[in-house]
Amino acid sequence: MATNPMHQFNVHKIGPEIEINGIDISFTNASFFMLLSALLIIVFLVFGTREKKLVPTKIQLISEVLYNFISKMISDTAGKKAKPYFPFIFTLFIFILICNMIGMLPYSFTVTSHIIVTLTFAIFIFIGVTILGFVIHGFKYLKIFVPSGVPILLLPIITIIEIISYLSRPVSLSVRLFANMMAGHTMLKVFGGFVISLGLIGGWLPLTFSVALTGLEILVAFLQAYVFAILTCIYLNDALNLHH
Amino acid sequence: MNKILSVFTIWILSNKNLIAAEAGMPQLDPTYWASQAFWLIIIFSSIYFLISKIFIPKIKNSIDSRENKIRKDIEEASVLKENAEKKLKEYDHLIKTAKIEAKKIIFESRKTLNESMEVKKKQIEKEIEKEIQNAESEIEKFKINSVHKTGVIAEEIASNLIENIFGEELNKSSMSATISETMKGYKN
Repeated sequence: MATNPMHQFNVHKIGPEIEINGIDISFTNASFFMLLSALLIIVFLVFGTREKKLVPTKIQLISEVLYNFISKMISDTAGKKAKPYFPFIFTLFIFILICNMIGMLPYSFTVTSHIIVTLTFAIFIFIGVTILGFVIHGFKYLKIFVPSGVPILLLPIITIIEIISYLSRPVSLSVRLFANMMAGHTMLKVFGGFVISLGLIGGWLPLTFSVALTGLEILVAFLQAYVFAILTCIYLNDALNLHH
Repeated sequence: MNKILSVFTIWILSNKNLIAAEAGMPQLDPTYWASQAFWLIIIFSSIYFLISKIFIPKIKNSIDSRENKIRKDIEEASVLKENAEKKLKEYDHLIKTAKIEAKKIIFESRKTLNESMEVKKKQIEKEIEKEIQNAESEIEKFKINSVHKTGVIAEEIASNLIENIFGEELNKSSMSATISETMKGYKN
């Protein structure tokens, strides 16, 4: 079991089989870790908002810093109009961050290392942003595919490229997070396997690599959550303020 | 990223038997896709509602109340500062007027002092003048008296001399006339 680095991504059922219309939606270890992340977030926020002190307690300060951080990120990238979507971005960022971080614990499961999870997020964001764009701007939203100030000869090519890049948004958004998490965790597992197979004499080198990679992976876990949230903000900005 | 992925794919290719055993990436096995998406939607939307309805207003409330408090405190401080500046101005003004008044008082008192000194001086001078006049008049009187007396003494002496020399009395009036004539000559 320990030798296969892909084993950590296996999904298995926990408890009884639940089926609706022939679709298997049983509670799995993936669902368990999603629930764990959600509970952790709620516990953190309950403690972070329990007291309302003028001079904040430590956990209150963390929740307020997080709030200000995401609030600034949204106002910097998407402007004031994005204010109503603040709770969504906040939840998105904190959920992905906690899922990534829980994945860094040994023997845990990384929810975000599954393409279906990130793709669900990305498709939801893609469809939501597109609907929002059409609701706010009507058919003028199609202007997003026609950048201004482009020579008329290049316009058809540019438009095709823009349409492709727009349609590939959910793919790039989901694959970025999924591939980062999967590759990182696989690497950690591979180096961990090397430590065992090379034994007491040669195992020290992969062990140091493993330690360094763990640090890097924690950085990646934060960075990918941030990138996911900021790209969502940028897509939202395109829909709210038609710049092209 | 690409390097990591390429290393990973090379590693996978070199362990073909393992892949065969595990049927590749578990991520691409669609057995539990529906389950994962379902639970993700359920859990994510529930924490979304909790966060947007409870926690974000709470955090916002806390931050806003702190900002309000700070703003209020700053406003209060600026009002206090203004008051203090006003008081300082009043104080300066008071000091200025007090100084002016003090100067006025000093000036006036000096003036009255000078005036009274002048009056006193004049009085004293008058008195001195009077005294001088008195003394002068007395001296004059004395002078006149002494002149008269010398005349009488001279007469007496002369009559006594004449009596002693000639043994007879002379006519007094003629003698006094002669004496006064000679005395006029001396006087001049």
